[in-house]
Amino acid sequence: MIVLKYLFNALIFPGALFTILAGFLLSGLDRKVIARMQRRIGPPLAQPVYDFFKLAGKENIVPAAANVTAYKLAPVLSFVSLAFIMVFIPIFSFSAFSSKADLIVILYLITIPGVALIIGGSASGSPYGAIGISREMVTMMSYELPFVLVLLAVAKKAGGDQLVFSLKEIGEWQAVNGSMLLHWSMIPAALAMLLVIPAEVGTQPFDVAEAETEICEGPLCEYSGAPLAVFKLSTCMKMFIMTGLFTAMFLGGIRTGFAGTDAILFVLICCVVTILCITTIHAITARLRIQHLFQFYWTYVTLLALVSLVLVWFGL
Amino acid sequence: MNMIQHFPVLAVMTLFLGAFLIEILGRNQIVRNALAFAAVSISMVLLICLIRPVLLEGQVISYWMGGWKPVANYAIGIGYEVDALGLTFALLGITAYWLSCVYSFGYMKGKQHLGHYYTLFLMLAGASVGFFLTGDIFNMFIMMEIVTFSAVALTASNTEKTTAIEGAFKYLINCSIGSSMTLAGIALIYLNCHTLNLAQLATILPGNVNLTTLMAFALILIGFCVESAMIPFHASFVDAHTVAPSSVSMILSGMVLKLGVYGLIRISYIVFRAIDTSSLQILLTAFGTVTMFIGVTMALAQHDFKRLLAFHSVSQLGYIIAAAGLCTSLGLTGSLYHAINHTLFKGLLFLCAGAVIHATGTSDLDALGGLSKRMPKTCICFLIGAFSISGLPPFNGFVSKWMIYQAAYAKAVTTGNFYYAVVTVTALVVSVMTLASFVKVLHSVFFGQLKKEHESVHEAPGIMLFPMYIMSALCVLTGIFYKAFSTVFIGPAVFAAFNNTTYIDSMMGEGYAELFGVPALAIDKLEFSYWNPFVWFVLFVIVFAAACVVIFSSTGTRGRTLKSGGSYDSVYGTGDLSVDFMGRTYETGDPEEKYAVFFSGEKAEYSHAGGSDLFWGFKYNWHKYYQFLQGLHSGSVNDYSAYAVICIAVICMFMFLFMR
Amino acid sequence: MFENLIKKSAMKSPWLFHINAGSCNGCDIEIVAVTTTLYDAERFGFKLVGSPRHADIVVVSGPVTMQSKERLIRTLAQVPEPKCVVSIGSCPQSGNVFKGSYAIDGPLEKYVHVDVAVAGCAPKPQAIMEGLYEAAQILEEKREMIRKAKKGVKGSGVIEVPAAAGTAQVSAAAAPASTAAPESTEAAPEAFAAAEPAAAAAVESTEKEVASK
Repeated sequence: MIVLKYLFNALIFPGALFTILAGFLLSGLDRKVIARMQRRIGPPLAQPVYDFFKLAGKENIVPAAANVTAYKLAPVLSFVSLAFIMVFIPIFSFSAFSSKADLIVILYLITIPGVALIIGGSASGSPYGAIGISREMVTMMSYELPFVLVLLAVAKKAGGDQLVFSLKEIGEWQAVNGSMLLHWSMIPAALAMLLVIPAEVGTQPFDVAEAETEICEGPLCEYSGAPLAVFKLSTCMKMFIMTGLFTAMFLGGIRTGFAGTDAILFVLICCVVTILCITTIHAITARLRIQHLFQFYWTYVTLLALVSLVLVWFGL
Repeated sequence: MNMIQHFPVLAVMTLFLGAFLIEILGRNQIVRNALAFAAVSISMVLLICLIRPVLLEGQVISYWMGGWKPVANYAIGIGYEVDALGLTFALLGITAYWLSCVYSFGYMKGKQHLGHYYTLFLMLAGASVGFFLTGDIFNMFIMMEIVTFSAVALTASNTEKTTAIEGAFKYLINCSIGSSMTLAGIALIYLNCHTLNLAQLATILPGNVNLTTLMAFALILIGFCVESAMIPFHASFVDAHTVAPSSVSMILSGMVLKLGVYGLIRISYIVFRAIDTSSLQILLTAFGTVTMFIGVTMALAQHDFKRLLAFHSVSQLGYIIAAAGLCTSLGLTGSLYHAINHTLFKGLLFLCAGAVIHATGTSDLDALGGLSKRMPKTCICFLIGAFSISGLPPFNGFVSKWMIYQAAYAKAVTTGNFYYAVVTVTALVVSVMTLASFVKVLHSVFFGQLKKEHESVHEAPGIMLFPMYIMSALCVLTGIFYKAFSTVFIGPAVFAAFNNTTYIDSMMGEGYAELFGVPALAIDKLEFSYWNPFVWFVLFVIVFAAACVVIFSSTGTRGRTLKSGGSYDSVYGTGDLSVDFMGRTYETGDPEEKYAVFFSGEKAEYSHAGGSDLFWGFKYNWHKYYQFLQGLHSGSVNDYSAYAVICIAVICMFMFLFMR
Repeated sequence: MFENLIKKSAMKSPWLFHINAGSCNGCDIEIVAVTTTLYDAERFGFKLVGSPRHADIVVVSGPVTMQSKERLIRTLAQVPEPKCVVSIGSCPQSGNVFKGSYAIDGPLEKYVHVDVAVAGCAPKPQAIMEGLYEAAQILEEKREMIRKAKKGVKGSGVIEVPAAAGTAQVSAAAAPASTAAPESTEAAPEAFAAAEPAAAAAVESTEKEVASK
């Protein structure tokens, strides 16, 4: 019975299916809104769904230079790990898998899709893939430092002089004391987190790893057909998971009391966050170079997160 | 009980006896291998027999050499004393030696002077096990010296590398600095306390600080810091680990460095009980944090497989020492867990490096590539090792690192000391850099494009793969069943480190500890508020398999790739369908082109981008830092000794200023 | 299970890969213009991608110079099925003003079947849009055809030819696949060979030249 419950959680809600649907929604919304920002009509909202199914129906060419097993398993690894991360993120009062899972588990699970992309790109044997994985890894190193600082600031704020890493407890703290965003000392951390999200998802201007105009989409260069579809799906899911993590950490105080309405509200907030941090930044910037990206994260964004951590440390 | 009492000393003696027998009888290869294997196996069985009384029942087994029992409450003879802490390390050690021994049968086959190799190997094994089991501080020093000299000789035994002698020489100089410090410290202790027995020292020294004992503590601490390759004592260790034969590198890097860790924990937790002073905690964590950071950044810049692994050992040792310096039970649990994990995954990685060297003859990252097609089993083992060391769930590195972060941040918030938050952040960032450097190795050695001259390389022989499989399995199992593992092995060891009453009583007679009023260290309640990796892992595997089936069977549109001359049978028909399908042909409707990598339209050629410059975007921003560090790693043993001396002076000053 | 969805998606999300086969850049600029705010090709799901592996429609501009010929052919071979080739401008069709040059080895038709040819020097963005839209329809038909052929091979061995093609049915007897096991790989080429004329006819009928307006 418990196994069935876990399977339900992993596969349907809030795992794979829910994440996929919400991811498609966010991704479609992102494309639509950016088109409207540029005074275009833009693709239909369901465009990511069309893209996914079109790719699923296409031929899948495995290059002769590739390590076939790793090449094929990498997208699946990316997809499955993403489906599981959502299980660990509480949707306001509802948390499915375990109340004990904490920020560090999530931090590490979130690196797995990136690793999967790296393995896939590396295994494809493409020189563009090699450059792509190098940039992907440097991007990961770049945002890791501010991301860690944000997580620690949130944990310290919720815990006081006790160790609280559990997202559920952080949510409960917010239910009592109001959302993190309402505390002024957390606003720099929230800004830093908003800047970390686009790098984690890999959207402009932080899409150096998958720059289609310079390195032919880097690690994805050799992918076609179903595996590519799964990687594109992973990007959509990542969008939902990262914005969901932001919501859980900074806006966790809002709750309606019912799981259904909570989920809808959660997705709606994620939409707003997506538009705020992914779409807007995409619309107003051009792609960075990799060394500038690293500089940007280790200076400005880190500073923002650090300000929050220090403020929280002095009890503000 | 009577029989069991003799087991620790027998476990050590078997190994030394084996060493002598091999030197006498070891002309014949079969006899030699059988003797080495038998010695290590017997010793392992003897130690495994100790699990039940020591780890499960919580006894402490003591043995007086030659029956020299304490007289008038003064320990005169040499005692062997096995508590949970020592036994955990000894078991870890003997497992590593056993696996390395099996690996050596394949790896060292056909090399010269194998009789000496196995003799030295068993000496090394016996001395390390003896170091963990002994209850006498001078005996510890002796064992450390035997370890040093056999390690030096084993390093120099790699006749294929001309730099082996140089590496061995540096190792010797460096370890001599460490052991002379230890010896000086021991002399000071003997001067002051008139005994060398650890249990008795543990009743005299705590709370009994004067300038002499403080100096002794500083010197012994430095000795063990040198032994565990802390920055700045690391450089010559790294050189030696690089040039030693891989089966020995695995031991040196995975096991011998743990001697220092064990010594540090033993003296600072049990003998001196100084660990609860906050200045020592800050010293050790600072040491560990600097070490883990410099180790990993140096590793990112390496272009030799084994040298990179050696720098990672330094970095991981930093984690272990920093966690041990926190003086919380979760911190020590994380530290010991990471020590065990480090032996497993670093051993595994060195064995993989050995397999690559065995196949291709080189460990230069710039000269390798695409080996996963020729050595798929090694590649899988490497992946498991790399994921473990980078701490990806559900592998074992994640569990221990998780404990370390948890402990460090708990320390930070409970003491309100921002310094420990810095430690936590550094540890977390170092973890992702570890991942980065293993991505570099993964891409440079196993993935990417295969070099022409490596077309014909072969997978490692079965006898080399077998220890790799065992280590991979252990990496996964200790990650998933972390709860059972930490209850059986690490829990008792942590308990033993914090409560030494049994340790003292068993050695010196009942009630001795109370007589001298040994203060007990406060032990926190251990709780693992951790996710359930087993359920997670099973679910993950199920869903993963299901997703594989769904994604690849329903569409089923793979173009299968065969070597030239083969036929392509994708479901779409022949290799390039448009030729047949549209009734037209391309001028070069060559399936070869379709399955070649995209090269901007050019004919694909060898274009493996790997090696040391893979993370250019990162190194560009750090080039001043790297210039500085690479200048410091000059390769000159004079420089390294100078750093060591400066560091020793600084540590002594720190101790005298802040620990009195 | 998702067959209908995949069918619908095939023409709703065509991704473009642009090959410049020695073009003077005039057409290239117009192609870029198609994706700009004014014309907004993304309305129909068009997207410029960076790798031929991701492409559905290959957009070729330029008169196929000697230098670019080999690269063009190679890149075209790397595009996964089903794919469409759209030529932009007069150069790939006829060589335009470059015709007769020693450096030209055109037209494009010599090397690859061009599904849609958009004429003009340079064609207006509207014309390119219409051509691309046409190609998207062809893409869907091609997919359908391949699917049917595939089913024929894998299943009973009967190759059904799409009704739209309006050609005669090819009976099972013609295809040796009927005697072979469903997984038989040897059967596949023959089956395709049998389907070939019908399939070719099917696409030929949908081919259309879009005149420059």
